[in-house]
Amino acid sequence: MKFRLLFFLIITPFCLFSQVVIVKDTLQLQGDSVVVTATRSERKLSNVTVPVTIINAKSIQQIGALRLTDILKEQPGLSMTSGFGAGVQLQGLNPDYTIILINGEPLVGRTAGVLDLNRIALGNVKKIEIVKGPSSSLYGSEAMAGVINIITDATTKTPLQSSLRYGTYNTIDAGLNNTLASTSIFYQGYYNYYSTDAYSIRPSSASRVTTPIKRIATNQQLKYNLNNNTNIIVGMRFTNEQIKNELSITNGGLTINSNGEEKNTDYNIASSLNHRFSNALKTSFRSYITQYNATQTLLTISGTPYTDILDHVFNRLENQTDWVVNKKLTAIVGGGAVMEGVKSSRYDSEKIRKTNTNQYAFSQWEWTPNAKLILIGGIRFDHNQTYASAWSPKASMLYKINKQHRIRLSVGQGFKAPDFRQLYLNFTNAAAGSYSVFGTAQAQKVIGQLNSLGQIGTLYNNFYQLKSLQPEYATGTHVTWEFEPNANNNFSFQLFRNDIRNLIEVQQVGAYITGAQIYSYLNIGRAFTTGFEFEAKHQISKEFSISTAYQYLETGDKDQLAQIKNGTVYTRDANGLSRKLNVSEYVGLPNNSTHKAQLKFNYSNQNGLFGNIRALYRSKWAVNNTNGNEVYDAGDSFAKGYIAIHLSIGKDYTNGIGFQFGCDNMLNYIDALNLPNLPGRTFFATLKIQKSKKYKL
Amino acid sequence: MRQILKPFLLLLTLSSILFSCTKDETTVALPVTAITVSNLPADTVLGINAVTGMPFSAGKYTFYSLERNAIVPNTDSASTKWDLAFAGSKILTNGGTSGTGLGGAFIYTGLFDDVKTISNDSVFKTDNAPASFAVTFGSGKGWYVYDQLTSLITPLAGRVLVIRTASGKYAKVEIINYYKGGVTLPITASDSDKLSKQRYYTFRYAYQPNGSKTF
Repeated sequence: MKFRLLFFLIITPFCLFSQVVIVKDTLQLQGDSVVVTATRSERKLSNVTVPVTIINAKSIQQIGALRLTDILKEQPGLSMTSGFGAGVQLQGLNPDYTIILINGEPLVGRTAGVLDLNRIALGNVKKIEIVKGPSSSLYGSEAMAGVINIITDATTKTPLQSSLRYGTYNTIDAGLNNTLASTSIFYQGYYNYYSTDAYSIRPSSASRVTTPIKRIATNQQLKYNLNNNTNIIVGMRFTNEQIKNELSITNGGLTINSNGEEKNTDYNIASSLNHRFSNALKTSFRSYITQYNATQTLLTISGTPYTDILDHVFNRLENQTDWVVNKKLTAIVGGGAVMEGVKSSRYDSEKIRKTNTNQYAFSQWEWTPNAKLILIGGIRFDHNQTYASAWSPKASMLYKINKQHRIRLSVGQGFKAPDFRQLYLNFTNAAAGSYSVFGTAQAQKVIGQLNSLGQIGTLYNNFYQLKSLQPEYATGTHVTWEFEPNANNNFSFQLFRNDIRNLIEVQQVGAYITGAQIYSYLNIGRAFTTGFEFEAKHQISKEFSISTAYQYLETGDKDQLAQIKNGTVYTRDANGLSRKLNVSEYVGLPNNSTHKAQLKFNYSNQNGLFGNIRALYRSKWAVNNTNGNEVYDAGDSFAKGYIAIHLSIGKDYTNGIGFQFGCDNMLNYIDALNLPNLPGRTFFATLKIQKSKKYKL
Repeated sequence: MRQILKPFLLLLTLSSILFSCTKDETTVALPVTAITVSNLPADTVLGINAVTGMPFSAGKYTFYSLERNAIVPNTDSASTKWDLAFAGSKILTNGGTSGTGLGGAFIYTGLFDDVKTISNDSVFKTDNAPASFAVTFGSGKGWYVYDQLTSLITPLAGRVLVIRTASGKYAKVEIINYYKGGVTLPITASDSDKLSKQRYYTFRYAYQPNGSKTF
């Protein structure tokens, strides 16, 4: 059924536009320095009040990035996490707190809060915009650390582009991107196939670090200009991945080996009707339907089948109206409704979809009192069926001191709604000690029933405090100073601080008679991340450029810090005897490196020859609380700091053929335990064929 | 080990003689010295069952007398000669369902040296197998944490087992390590090392022979 749909979607455009005529290139791309994510409207990067990074298609191609992970891991201030797929950590905040958008619509399908960014192929991406700082005032839940928006564009320049890449571990990536255009219709179709063999960077271990993966993806986009003022855009995206699983679970010395497969499928359909009433007023109606299904089927060695299903549906209707009140004042108002539902084997019944509805309204005002100053104020209200409502205000400003200096300042509040897992999980892990985790929506009822059956041994005080969860909140402040002495040099320096409260954490609320733990979720945590980022770019000559970036990051759990100061957290001295932990030994939140730095050389000439070498450094980070004192300190396990150096060279000929070769992780750095997603040194070669002249309908 | 223990034994014997003399007068609390016991085997792993893949051991407790600072033979398990019994990560006290003595315990959160006097409102728990034990059994609940990822057991810092001995006297115990040689294995150690070198206790304790609650 799914494949028939896919076939239909692939074939239809070719039938529709079978009369292909070549015309000269009339469509001009907008300058790449236009940003949409920062204000939900098109703004020049130099007029945006919040910190934004733009990654354009050229940089994606020149480093040979295939998946979203490949490009994000090289961005200043971001790091990748490796549990439950590759997630992104933004300025020290976990993957749960960054919303991932494709053309402004959110991707769903998170496992334990992590959205696997390897799901997203980059072949047809026009640019990626990264907004740092809470952005819930425009995007609602999840936009707490920031926003990553992947933008594809049907009106893109290149009409036909295909590429084939082969690399270490039999990694194959084939992509085809075609666009068709008339004066009123623009179409883009993108197809991608990716597969890789298993590889093991732990030679003595039977379990493969990465298991064989196959992914297919397609993306179809159609834009139809009804007239000069009205257009319709319909986009459709489908991805499917199949991952072989060889699991080995050890509990109490007992090892259970299982084999099976994981199938993850997601699709989304986004449609919008955009109309311009006048130069001062335009509106956009959008509908978005998306579904993510993850099914894991395993068979243990002894033949016991095991199936784990997660199915997430997210539907949204939205309107946004942009109004230019006068030369100095513009406004955006919008609102919408979300219907969301999740089915999971880990809830009480995998047949019944848990649902949630959300209505929201937002408004943003942009005031330009003079040529030097832009002030923006915005607020959003989210009303929800199952958890408390949230207000998300944000204020930001840009002050252009002179042609060389700019200051951006933003203060905002972001939130993350409790997710379905935190509300509805009903999971008992028979494989590991028979502990249970119950979501708060049902915990009291379920545990109450177990109690009446005489199965509950103890209930802790916090069991009686269980109530409906509140969203998690963050307040973020970002101050950026930009200095551009001339066209060949630019610098930016940013200070940031995020204060998070109401963090939802798993807590033991009781125990069975057998002693097995019972967990649920409570809003208890308070944390912070703070630091600074520095970026500099220097154009050495027409062809050569060099860029560098550095991030200093401090994080911490405020309650744990208070406990350490109170002298109630312990560690051991060199003789193994207990002593009180010092505040200076506290390292903050796990998986965060204090120092991150990068240095990139880039070459690109007029004849299409390009090359780059990128060195990325990350200092040590805490991975495991080995001494059991519940805080991460100098006595715990750390992953060692490391440097990864990547290289890529290529040439694009004027006839549309291009070659590219690359070597990732040239130093062959391997840390099988802490960096399972970093294979040793790998090589790749890519062949590109593109038709640079435009087809016309 | 025995070499080091001898002077302590002597000291203990002396002090008990001393106390038996002054017992009926005002209780004079002599400062008690901390004693370290190293590499006490506690039902160590003997091998792996080829069929089930499960590690197996003899299934016998190691009985220990805090008063005499010595292992008590298993034949005396039904006596009041032992104060603590060790098997794997389980620690029993000689009382309740576990023994015929007056034994009990509770876990104090804090430093060993900070346990100077056991306050009178402290509640000593006794073993009530299989539901509960005076020294709470399980990862994160009593004296240790078990990491499922690395399969290593780490004694929690800042935990003192306050013990009532079989004869109703008091002692405080801090578990220092669970591995042979007193050093926790690196997480990269082989599975066979992690099995064969575990269940060797290193702990320090102070025993107050005069029956008072002051150390």
